[in-house]
Amino acid sequence: MVGGRLDLLDPYDVAELGGIEFTAEGVVEGFLAGLHRSPFKGFSVEFAEHRPYQAGDELRYVDWRVLARSDRLTVKQYEAETNLRSMIVLDVSRSMAWRGADRRLTKLGYAQRLVAALSLVLLRQRDATGLIAFDEEVRAVVPARARVQQRWSLLSTIAGLDAGHGTAAEPALRRVTDLLRRRGLVVFVSDLLFDRDLALLAMQYLRHRGHQVMVFHIMDPSECELDGPPEARFEDPETGAGVVVRPREFRAAYRETVRRAIVAWRHALRRVGIAYFPVLTDTPFGHVLRRAAARRSRLG
Amino acid sequence: MGFLQPLALLGLAAAGIPALLHLLQRRTPPTVPFPAVRYLAETERRHSRRLKLRNLLLLLLRMALLACIAVAAARPVARLPFGDLHGPSALAVVVDNSLSSAAVQGGRRVLDALTDRARGVFGRTASGDHLWLVLADGIPRRVTRIEALLALDSLRPAGVRLDVADAVRAAARVVADDPLPGEVVVVSDLQRGAVSSGPLPPARTLVAGVPAPPENRGIAAVRITPDVWSAGGTVVSTLDGTGTDDRPVRLEIGGVVVARTLAAPGRDAVMSVEGVAPGWHAARVLLDPDELRGDDVWHVAVRGAPPTATSVARGAGPFVQQAIGVLQEAGRLSHGTEVRLGDRVEIGRTILFPPDEPVELGGVNRALAARGIPWRFGDPLTGEWTLQGDLRGLEDARVLRRYHLTGEGQVVATAGGEPWIVRQGALVIVASRLEPRWTTLPVTAGFVPFLDALINRVAAAEAWRVEAAAGATVVLPSSAAALLGPQGRLPLATAGAVQAPTEPGVYFLLGNAGDTVGALQVNHDRREIPLEPAAPREIRTVFGPDAGPYAAGALDRELFRGARRADLAGWFLALALLFAAVELGLASAGGRVRED
Repeated sequence: MVGGRLDLLDPYDVAELGGIEFTAEGVVEGFLAGLHRSPFKGFSVEFAEHRPYQAGDELRYVDWRVLARSDRLTVKQYEAETNLRSMIVLDVSRSMAWRGADRRLTKLGYAQRLVAALSLVLLRQRDATGLIAFDEEVRAVVPARARVQQRWSLLSTIAGLDAGHGTAAEPALRRVTDLLRRRGLVVFVSDLLFDRDLALLAMQYLRHRGHQVMVFHIMDPSECELDGPPEARFEDPETGAGVVVRPREFRAAYRETVRRAIVAWRHALRRVGIAYFPVLTDTPFGHVLRRAAARRSRLG
Repeated sequence: MGFLQPLALLGLAAAGIPALLHLLQRRTPPTVPFPAVRYLAETERRHSRRLKLRNLLLLLLRMALLACIAVAAARPVARLPFGDLHGPSALAVVVDNSLSSAAVQGGRRVLDALTDRARGVFGRTASGDHLWLVLADGIPRRVTRIEALLALDSLRPAGVRLDVADAVRAAARVVADDPLPGEVVVVSDLQRGAVSSGPLPPARTLVAGVPAPPENRGIAAVRITPDVWSAGGTVVSTLDGTGTDDRPVRLEIGGVVVARTLAAPGRDAVMSVEGVAPGWHAARVLLDPDELRGDDVWHVAVRGAPPTATSVARGAGPFVQQAIGVLQEAGRLSHGTEVRLGDRVEIGRTILFPPDEPVELGGVNRALAARGIPWRFGDPLTGEWTLQGDLRGLEDARVLRRYHLTGEGQVVATAGGEPWIVRQGALVIVASRLEPRWTTLPVTAGFVPFLDALINRVAAAEAWRVEAAAGATVVLPSSAAALLGPQGRLPLATAGAVQAPTEPGVYFLLGNAGDTVGALQVNHDRREIPLEPAAPREIRTVFGPDAGPYAAGALDRELFRGARRADLAGWFLALALLFAAVELGLASAGGRVRED
């Protein structure tokens, strides 16, 4: 298992190998090794400088003239690309600290590793990357920077996060607008178990400010497929609200309700140009990153 | 509606099990942390009403399912016209296995068809029914269904006659006396002669129809003359039945055919035989076999003996002397001293009359005492008395004078209930002189036959010949102590009237000393010979307006009509299956509740 590509392994098995930093490195290495170009490239056409080619860079950005003259692989870097500012918004509410099976990561654990890998990918592209963690209030803020130390700052912050209480996404998203003055990329990672209208309003505002927005909807498989004792009181760990049902009776209808919720999110976000990725916590990280990269590529 | 197994209704309590389980499961359910409660709440909000309705329906279906099974187990029955069950009933089945049931029709015995119909009737009975079986003896016997079927399995044609109407009336009485509603079913060939008219049976009677009978002829009677064959005799046979053509008739004595002739129904067949050895002989008159074999044989007893040698003293009176002379001329008596008749006590067989002179009576009584005879002539009596006894010729005679006979012993005839002829050993004492001043007997036509019987049968101990139909009641002479028949010696428990054996044949009557005192000729009843069935109208007249006769299917419909019930268990089981199917479908659909 260790000899394989970590981005394609079961997330729980990957998490068993070490801390967030180690696993994020492994995932990113595996992820980039399987790509033929940079996953999150910029979209500016104003040339800035050359830099040495590195694995994962797209071949179309290789400067063939320099290669012909000096026999060195270099790629052209553009102004906006070098100055892409990314802000990752991570939901650390109590609902994220839940898993439906012992051999699965909690939604928060999964999201932490996904965010760590994503930030490493962005930093490798010399994109300024920051982080905002929130529950019912903003819990942690790491401003977006492209410095070498930013990597350790982000990873240590991510690793230090634990589940909070309730969820209030809208203040966190508004905080992003303060931290991203220029147009940039906002990656929103959450289980989306909060008021949809308020969150959509904030995201629309981000879009209005010219930011690209990607939403990772983190879900445990057990949240999609209702199971449990013949009759049980299902209780929300955040609000304490509960409902008594017999899972066998509601299984199909619940599955349909979840499907409709996902469809509703997807349609609502698509209307305002926001990329939406429903993610189950048993999905290998590489798959998620690849889908996001492909989507980002189309948007770029 | 009633229940055949009412105890099973206790199972209705099981119908409460689903509700009980529902209540038990209403305990506080376990709490499961689940972040996506908002999705669940939304689902529950959309479907709770439908689910509650569905759960209530499931609960009711399960309760109804268990209730239906419990009710079905209790075997519910209801009074419905299409039912094939019935309430507890009394049923008497008359199966006519009389002689005529032995007839063969279409290669099959009529009795087999009758027992098949009877088995079908008993097959319709239930465990709570009160059952009687009436066979050819006409006696209703209480039976269980198993006993009845076993009796039918071993049933054979009897040689006796059954008056079906009488048997039905007897059966109807026991059915009417039973507290359960009852019916009588008649399974018979319904010979016209067996359906005698009379009062309607006191219970509903159904008659099972049978196929038309075959043609038949049989021997209706046989007459032997004279009673005792000295030099030979004549056998006169009378045939009855259908057809007019002549058929061979044979006479067998001791297994040897001694005479043959031809005869047709309605005509006598006369066969003469010359010479027969002294003693009793079992003889048979045989008709060629036809579809009913039982009436093709007639059993008779033939006795060969020389005439009794008789002498008459003057003291016997002129009427006796002249009558004896007639008998000697006719060959019934011969001249000799085997039997003496007079007014003196003689040595040997004697018929003693009172002396004409009363003064001689004392000497006669002393002579009786000297012979050890317990009888004495007592006071003279005058009056008018009728005679009773089993001697021919007594019926029309009167006694005007007689002596009171005192003593103990065998009484042969009585006058006004007192001994008139008595017998002690070889001595026969008559209480009156046989003269017109004493009795009217000498001037009646029966006088000579009377003396014939008195000498040949009483004094000379000539035996009796008695005829009886198989199974019928017959009066045997008191001197008979046992019967000697084809099955061996049969002791007679009681004297007088007894039931004749059901097996036709010649049964010799044995005295206490083992001597043969007569013969009983047991034969079929001549009324069994005509097989023509009674018309439906006659049947309805005798048994009731709805008596039938009915074919098999119609009889099934009529049987237990008053107590007809339908078994609803199948309906309840079908209903339970329906509930189970609906419950299964509903419960399966419950796991697939989808968004509208």
